[in-house]
Amino acid sequence: MLELKGIYKWVNTGNHRTFLLKDVDLTVKEGEFISIMGPSGSGKSTLLNVIGMLDEFNEGEYNFLNESVHKLKEKQRSALYKQYIGFVFQAYHLIDELTVYENIETPLIYQNIKSSDRKAMVADILDRFQIVGKKDLFPTQLSGGQQQLVGIARALIANPKLLLADEPTGNLNSKQGEEIMNLFKQLNHEGMTIIQVTHSEKNAAYGSHIINLLDGMIQNN
Amino acid sequence: MIRNYFKTAWRNFWKNKTFSFINIAGLAIGISAALVIYLIVQFEFSYDTFWKDKSRVYRVVTDMTFPGGSVFKNSGVEIPLPVAARNEMTGIETFTHFITANDPKVTVPVAGSKSPAVFKHQKGIMYADEFYFSMFQYNWLAGSPQAALKDPSQVVLTEDRAKSYFGNIPFENMIGRQINYEDSIQTIVTGIVKQLPDKATDFRFDEFISISTIFNTNLKNQYVVDEWNSVNSNSQLFIKLSPGTKPGEVQAQFAALRNKYRSKENNEKDDTKHLLQPLSDIHFNADYGDLSHRRAHKPTLYGLMAVAVFLLLLGCINFINLTTAQSSQRAKEIGIRKTLGSSKATLALQFLSEIFLLTLIATIVSIAVTPWLLKIFSDFIPPEINFSSVNQPHVWIFLALLVVVMTLISGFYPSWILTKFRPVTVLKNQLHPGASQGRKAWLRKSLTVTQFVIAQFLVIATLVVSKQISYSLNKDLGYKKDAIVYFYTPHNFYSNKKDDRRFALLEKIKSIPAVKEISLGGEAPAHSGAVSSTFKINTGKNEIELMVETINADPAYFDIYGLKLLSGKFPDKSDTAKEYIINETYAKALGFSNPADAIGKFVNRGSFSLPIVGVLKDFHTKSTHSKIGPLIYSSSDRNSYMMHIALASQENSPGLWKKTLGLIEKEYKKLYPDDEFQYNFFDETIAAFYKKEQDVKSLLNWSAGLCIFISCLGLLGLVIYTTNTRVKEIGIRKVLGASVTQIVTLLSKDLISLVMVAFLIAAPLSWLAMNKWLQDFAYRTNISWWVFAACGISMLVLAFFILGIRTVKAAMANPVKSLRTE
Repeated sequence: MLELKGIYKWVNTGNHRTFLLKDVDLTVKEGEFISIMGPSGSGKSTLLNVIGMLDEFNEGEYNFLNESVHKLKEKQRSALYKQYIGFVFQAYHLIDELTVYENIETPLIYQNIKSSDRKAMVADILDRFQIVGKKDLFPTQLSGGQQQLVGIARALIANPKLLLADEPTGNLNSKQGEEIMNLFKQLNHEGMTIIQVTHSEKNAAYGSHIINLLDGMIQNN
Repeated sequence: MIRNYFKTAWRNFWKNKTFSFINIAGLAIGISAALVIYLIVQFEFSYDTFWKDKSRVYRVVTDMTFPGGSVFKNSGVEIPLPVAARNEMTGIETFTHFITANDPKVTVPVAGSKSPAVFKHQKGIMYADEFYFSMFQYNWLAGSPQAALKDPSQVVLTEDRAKSYFGNIPFENMIGRQINYEDSIQTIVTGIVKQLPDKATDFRFDEFISISTIFNTNLKNQYVVDEWNSVNSNSQLFIKLSPGTKPGEVQAQFAALRNKYRSKENNEKDDTKHLLQPLSDIHFNADYGDLSHRRAHKPTLYGLMAVAVFLLLLGCINFINLTTAQSSQRAKEIGIRKTLGSSKATLALQFLSEIFLLTLIATIVSIAVTPWLLKIFSDFIPPEINFSSVNQPHVWIFLALLVVVMTLISGFYPSWILTKFRPVTVLKNQLHPGASQGRKAWLRKSLTVTQFVIAQFLVIATLVVSKQISYSLNKDLGYKKDAIVYFYTPHNFYSNKKDDRRFALLEKIKSIPAVKEISLGGEAPAHSGAVSSTFKINTGKNEIELMVETINADPAYFDIYGLKLLSGKFPDKSDTAKEYIINETYAKALGFSNPADAIGKFVNRGSFSLPIVGVLKDFHTKSTHSKIGPLIYSSSDRNSYMMHIALASQENSPGLWKKTLGLIEKEYKKLYPDDEFQYNFFDETIAAFYKKEQDVKSLLNWSAGLCIFISCLGLLGLVIYTTNTRVKEIGIRKVLGASVTQIVTLLSKDLISLVMVAFLIAAPLSWLAMNKWLQDFAYRTNISWWVFAACGISMLVLAFFILGIRTVKAAMANPVKSLRTE
C-alpha cells in the first residue's frame, strides 16, 4: 500500500543538524495493523505525520498507492490524503464550535459530497458507533472516551483506506482505552489498514506488527 | 456548504461576544456614516442631471471689473442681450431668457365674490420666454409648450400651484382663468405643467409669466429693458450649444455682441465680460449664486466623503487587528480542518463568509440607526433627504457593494494569515500565542498607529477650528454687538409714491421705555452682502477712483454701534446725502497717512461734489475671512429703511426684550398691517457669518469623537487579547514578586507607546493642514502649543484609562489560579 525508502528528516539549529528521521525504510501492506513504539522524542509522531503527508521530509522516496508522494505538489498531496487517509489524535482535536454530527460531517463537505448522501453516511456511522443520542451535543459536553469515539467516527466517515492514530488512548483511562483498541482491532478485521503510535506495550500488542523507533531510526522490523 | 460556514460563523460570533461587539460597533459606525454621507453626496451631485442634453446647457454669467481691480460676479445678463444674441449669434441650438420675480403679491379673482383670494410673498415666480419649455422639458397637463408663453399676459402654473389657486377642478377649466400680480399686472392662465419629478433641482419655479409681459407694461421702466450697461442678477440667460460648438467660441461671440451695442461715451474699455457656466456648476458655485435655492459646497462634500472613508477604514483596522490577534486561538480549528482535507481556498472562503456575516449585521444595525442619525445631523442634511431615501435601488446597490468591499478589505489579510498555519505545528501545540510575533505584530502596530493618527489629527483640527471661531466672535470687531436689534421697514420699490410711515414708527418706538436709542439708516456695520459703488475723490494731488461700500446712517447709528471717530465729526442728519464720513482704510487707500488730512476733501458725484467731514476708526464689516475694505457713510433719511434699536439691559428684568419687541411689533402692525414683523439681533447676525465654520466644527466634533471611539474599542480589544495571552506570564511574575503597578506598566507599555508614536505623526500633519485652513482668514488666531499638548495628554489619559480596565484586573488576579489552569 505504501512504501518509504531512505527517508531523512532534519532540522538545523545553528550549525548543528538534528535528525528527526534517519534512513527510514518501511513497507505497509493493505490490511496490516502496525504499532509504532519508542521513547519520547524518538520520532514516532514525525513518522506518522510524514506517512499522513501532513509533514514533509528532506530526503528519500515515499510511494503511496502507486503515487510518488515526494514528487507531488501540496495541492495534489492534500487531495490524496483527503481521499485515502483518516486521522485520529491523542487530543481528539474535535472542532469545539461544531456538534458531534457536524464534526463527523465536515470531511464529507470538503470532499464535495451531496447533502443527502452526507446525511445518510453520518446517520450510518452514528448508528454503528451507537452515538446517535449524542449527535447534537458539542464536544465539551462529552467524556474523553466519547470524544475519541467521535474522532474515530470522523476519521472513518469518508471510507479511507488507511487510518493513522497518534496515541489514540493517551488521554483516556484504561477501560476507555481498551474499548477503543477493541474497536481498532475490529476495524482491522474488516480490512482497514491501521498505523498507530503508542507508548503502551499492551496496546501495541493489538497490532500485527510492531516497529521500534529510537532517535529517528527503526531498530527492528 | 455555505450554510455550514454561516453556522460556524454564528457560533464563533456568540463565543467571542466582546470581540464581535467591538467589531460590529466599529463597522456599524463606519457604515452608518458612509450611508448617510452617500445619501447626501449622491443627492447633491445628482442636481439637475435629469435634463435632456444637460452637458450642452450653459448659463451665461457676467464678470465685471471695477476700478481698483475688484471683480464682481453676477449670475445675470443685460436684459436686451438675449434678444440680440438670438438674432445674431451662431452655434447655439436654443436660448431661453427669464427674469425671476421678487416674491410678489398674487391675487386670484374668485367667481361670484368681490374680494379675490390673496397670496402674499409668493415664491417661485419667473418671467420666462416661450423657449423656456423647449430647453427644459416639463410634462404638460393642459395647454402646450409651443403657445403658452408666446404673448404678453400669459402664465403657466405647476399642478400644485394651480390647485392652491383654483382648488380641485379639471386642469382644462383652469385655462383662461385670471391671476393678478402686485395689483397691477393681469395675466391669463395658458398652461398647467407637472412639478419636476426629481427633488434634486435648482429649478424650483411654480409660475411662469410670459416675459413679453415686462416689455409691454410699465414693468419695462422698472427693469430698464434696453440698458446695456446694467446687469440684473435675476435676468438669466440659458443656452444650449449646438453639438460641436465650443464654449470659448460662444464667449468670443458675446464679447463681439457687447462691443456692438454697449454705449461708448467715454470710449472706455469694456469692463463687462460674459462667461458660460455649465449647468452642472450652478448648484455648487457660490460666486454666481444659484436660482434662489440652497447651494452645496463641494469641499464640504469631499470632506464628508473623507470622513466616511476614515470611519470605514478604522472599522476595518479594528477588525484586522482583533482577528489577527486572536488568530492563534483559531489555529486549532484550522489545523483540524486542514487534516480533514480542507484546501486553503475553502478555508479562506469560510473566514470571508464569517466576516461577511459580521459586516451584514453591522449594515443592518446601520440602517436601523439611520433615522436617528438623520435627525442629529439635520443641519448638514438637505431637507429633501429622509429615511425613505434609503429605499432606492442605487442605495441598496451601494450598500451591497460596501458590504462586499468591506468584507474583502477587512478579511483579506486575516484569512491569509489564518490559512497559512501548517496543521502539524498547530496540532503539536507548537504554536504559541507569541510565536508569530514579528511581522504580524508589526502590521498590527502600524494599523493601530494609523487609527490614532487619524483620531488625533481630527482632535487637533477640531481644537483649531473652535479656537478660530471663538477668536472671530470675541475679537474686538470695532463695534458694540450686544443688545442691538434691527429690522427693515417695508417699502414698495415699484411705486413712486412717497411712503413716510417709517418716520412715524420711529417716533412711536422712541417712546417705548426699554428702547435706549433708535436710528434710521441702512445696513448694520456688519452684514452679509454689500452695496458698493465707485467713488472719485480728489486728494489734492490726483483723483482716485475706487469701489467703495456705502451705508446710510443718521448720527444715532454711530452711537448705537459704538463706532469710534478718529478725526472730524459724524455727518449731520439730512434727508439726502450732504456730507461723508470714511473709514481709516479708505483714507489710507487715498494716500493719507494721517487720517485727518482726508477731511475737507471732496467726493466727486458727477454733477456735484460733497465734502468728507470725518474719519472712522476701522471695524470689521465682514467676517474675519475678509480684509477690511474702504467704506463710506452718509446720512440720507430718504433712502434709509432700516431701524436700529439699542435695548436696555435685561439683566435685572428677564424677559424685558421679548416684551419690548412685542410692543414694537404692535406699533409696526398699526402702520404696516399687511407685513410681517421680522427682526434680527446684531450679535446673532455676526455669529451667522461663521455658520460654515460652526458646521465644520460640529462635523469635526462628531468625526473626531467617533474616530476616538472606534480606535479605543480597538485598543480595548488588543489589551483584552494581550492580557489573555499573558495570563501565565503575569502569574509567574507575581509569584516572583512583581507588584500590581509593575505588571500594569508592563502590559500597557507597548500600547501606550503606539499612541505616542501616533501623536508624533499626527502633530506635524495637523499643524500643516490647519495652518493652510487658517490662511483662508484675513484675521486669524495662531495655533498655540497648548492645542497639541491638550490633544496629546488627553489621548494618553484616555488610553491609560482604556488599558486600565483590563490590565488592573489582570494584575490583581490570584497567580495560583492562572498557573493551576495550565
